[in-house]
Amino acid sequence: MSQATRSMPDTVLEARNVTKRYPGNVALDRVTFRVQRNQVNVLIGENGAGKSTLMKILSGVEKPDEGELFLDGQRIALDSPRAAASQGIAIVHQELLALTNLNVSENIFAGRELCRAALLVDKERQDARSDAALQRLRKPMNVRCETGRLPLGCRQIVEIARTLDQGSKILILDEPTSALSASETESLLHLIADLKRSGVTIVYISHRLHELLHIGDTFTVLRSGHIVGECARADVTRQWIVERMSGRTETSCANELVPAFANPTVLSVRGLSLVGSVGDEAAQAALHSLTFTLREGEILGIYGLLGSGRTELVEALAGLRPIASGEILLRGETIRIDSVRSAMKAGIVLMPEDRQRDGLFPDLSIRENMAMSSNRTFFLSRDEEARRVNRLVADLRIAVKDIELPITTLSGGNQQKVLLARCLLCSPAVLLMDEPTRGVDVNAKTDIYGILRGLTAKGLSIVFTSSEIEETRLLADRVLVLCQGRIRAEFQRDELTDEALFAAASPSIATSGANPPHLASGHPA
Amino acid sequence: MNSAAGSISQPSRAVTASARLVLLLLRARAVLVLVLLIVLFSALAPEFFTANNLSILTKHVAITALLAVGMTFVVLTGGIDLSVGSIAGLSGIAAGYLLTQGIAFGGVAHYPPVAIVVLLSICVCLVVGGLNGWLVTRAGVAPFIATLGTLYIARGTALLISNGKTFPDLGDTAGRGGTGFSAFGQRFVLHIPTPVWMMMAVFAIAWILAAKTPFGRHVYAIGGNERAARLAGIRVGQVTLLTYLFSSACAGLVGLIIASQLEAAHPATGESFELNAIAAVVLGGTSLMGGRGSITGSLIGAFVIGVLAVGMVMLGISEFWQMVIKGVVIVLAVAVDQLQARLQSRLLPFLAQSDQGAGR
Repeated sequence: MSQATRSMPDTVLEARNVTKRYPGNVALDRVTFRVQRNQVNVLIGENGAGKSTLMKILSGVEKPDEGELFLDGQRIALDSPRAAASQGIAIVHQELLALTNLNVSENIFAGRELCRAALLVDKERQDARSDAALQRLRKPMNVRCETGRLPLGCRQIVEIARTLDQGSKILILDEPTSALSASETESLLHLIADLKRSGVTIVYISHRLHELLHIGDTFTVLRSGHIVGECARADVTRQWIVERMSGRTETSCANELVPAFANPTVLSVRGLSLVGSVGDEAAQAALHSLTFTLREGEILGIYGLLGSGRTELVEALAGLRPIASGEILLRGETIRIDSVRSAMKAGIVLMPEDRQRDGLFPDLSIRENMAMSSNRTFFLSRDEEARRVNRLVADLRIAVKDIELPITTLSGGNQQKVLLARCLLCSPAVLLMDEPTRGVDVNAKTDIYGILRGLTAKGLSIVFTSSEIEETRLLADRVLVLCQGRIRAEFQRDELTDEALFAAASPSIATSGANPPHLASGHPA
Repeated sequence: MNSAAGSISQPSRAVTASARLVLLLLRARAVLVLVLLIVLFSALAPEFFTANNLSILTKHVAITALLAVGMTFVVLTGGIDLSVGSIAGLSGIAAGYLLTQGIAFGGVAHYPPVAIVVLLSICVCLVVGGLNGWLVTRAGVAPFIATLGTLYIARGTALLISNGKTFPDLGDTAGRGGTGFSAFGQRFVLHIPTPVWMMMAVFAIAWILAAKTPFGRHVYAIGGNERAARLAGIRVGQVTLLTYLFSSACAGLVGLIIASQLEAAHPATGESFELNAIAAVVLGGTSLMGGRGSITGSLIGAFVIGVLAVGMVMLGISEFWQMVIKGVVIVLAVAVDQLQARLQSRLLPFLAQSDQGAGR
């Protein structure tokens, strides 16, 4: 298939025979990657396959050890992101780098401020140009609004507007949707189609197959530093991608179901309400009198868009947010939850959504991270702790070389498993999981689903939230759909369809999350 | 990590071993510097490495070491305690007041025994430490500001109690029942001065707390990631409060030792001691951002500062140069700390890989 694409005239950017080594690891091994002009070039691969390294090389963040870069057939050297930007190549990183304390137009011009008399920042001109860029993206917003107050979807738009204003011809999007809700994602995909029409070339990296199949024109699969597949959209199937990525055929996760209908109720929530608030750190969606139950050994999915209150619900149950009213019963007894500890004591443990921010202790070892919540004795015993940790390392199939190494040496999927192990060491009755597989590759996802099934077979009950339809469908026995703080629908596993789920989650009035009308106050140009 | 990476380039055992060695040397650099300084001063000044001088030196170091070890927990949580010098001053004044004025009770002054005086003085310090902890955990004041405030509050209180004067003659004075307060900081037990015993005891307690108890683990966790600590069920406020209490108790001990050694309590005692303590903590490799560091490091850091000071005096280096050199050493220590962090992240993949081959 490489014969077909070789030296075609519409290759705008090419990395030829690029090799990049890190200590003890060859991230890219003589990789040749061609970016087709005016197309959405999709790059897929599991964590650690070398995608990010390749993108860093294309955007000037890293220099290759060997190999060359060609732009429009001309050899170029990219020494810095600035050099790449001047060649019209821009990248929007996976972790948005927006400066949250600055406003929208200050972000768009950060590091390249327009000046008057070579000294004073020309705010009017910056605002006007920012406004123009946002208009071009058809996402007008108040350019004087502080970025920290914007939802993630809008911050992403701001970053794209920045690249647009720089006159970028090639836009690299590194997992742009990993933090976005379904509606924000949809709006981003529309935007990408628009950009393509206006002549921008897109390089798109993502784990989410349905998105890729929706917008991709050409597909390239990386595995362990090698390109293992290149294909045009017409010839790509889901099966093909998953096989190339993992090197093994896709295994269905829809394994035999143990119906939990007959089991006794473990958790019942009656009339749970939360007061909503706005603000940067303390912002939360309101919850309006939620009532539901959870049976022993059941996996209950909470599906909802960003701002629907799904995170607030699990965090309230875990004792992180003050509950305004409502009753929570565990095994028929009313429990008071006013702190994380009280929830933990009752047997409810939360595994957070953002493991870097809320889960991991980067300075501590794998053992210390895992045993953090479960030490009850006055003196710690390292041997006893190591025994407990090693048992879970084996149970959860965590790929660990040495439990004394820092947690940061593990891949995302294994870090996630360490957090899961920490929760399990508290021997909970109810495990709450906020986005159980965020930023985890496909194989690790399947693995984690399998592990969770195994745990429920032993009597653990799980409540998880997700913004991925696929995950909800694969994992949940029963799904509650949250919308604007209310339970909008309930589906049993066998009556679940993607369309029904999505329809129930979408607010009935046209207030799509990515572009609320109140932000659309255009600044006078 | 990448499972295929091992097959692409299997690092040789030699590389792994040298990576381990480099990391070990960097981690033990405070000890290396200490040994280097001792060798250097012993070579330059023959009287430096004598039992008598080392005994004096250790007694000198005990003051800084007690403050530094006490403050290490605070720094590990990501905080700082600027008030320790003032607390030491306040503790001495409290003891001086109790010893010379007694407790007025029914119009008659009662002179409490030394043990009670010591306990009451430490309790006064714990009040200040509790105030620090309350300000940081409940009132949400940044540790730097909170302890800067209590630095002034404690110093002012000491001056108010003594009316700016010194409480003299705290030694064994008849009429007050021959108190024996001077023995507190001056006696020798098994040929070792009492301050050194106290330093060793506090060090042992702190080391056990840090390495062997959930409290220590929680301190590291809070400094590493406070949000995650809260979510892991750690009582963040309570643990943080305890670190400030521990720091203030150690500072109180220092104030008592100094008052006992001088047999007088001066309200200005301990001015700028906090800077020496912070320097010792930082020299010992504890990160001011929290989460990284050790109790042993702070002890060694205190010795480095003490040896440097005494050694330079013996060599007759001018006092002005002494300050410059001390500053250079502190800045270099932090620069090397940054180097270690960077090198460690570079070398860790080697260690992670090597165990793959070893098949743990």
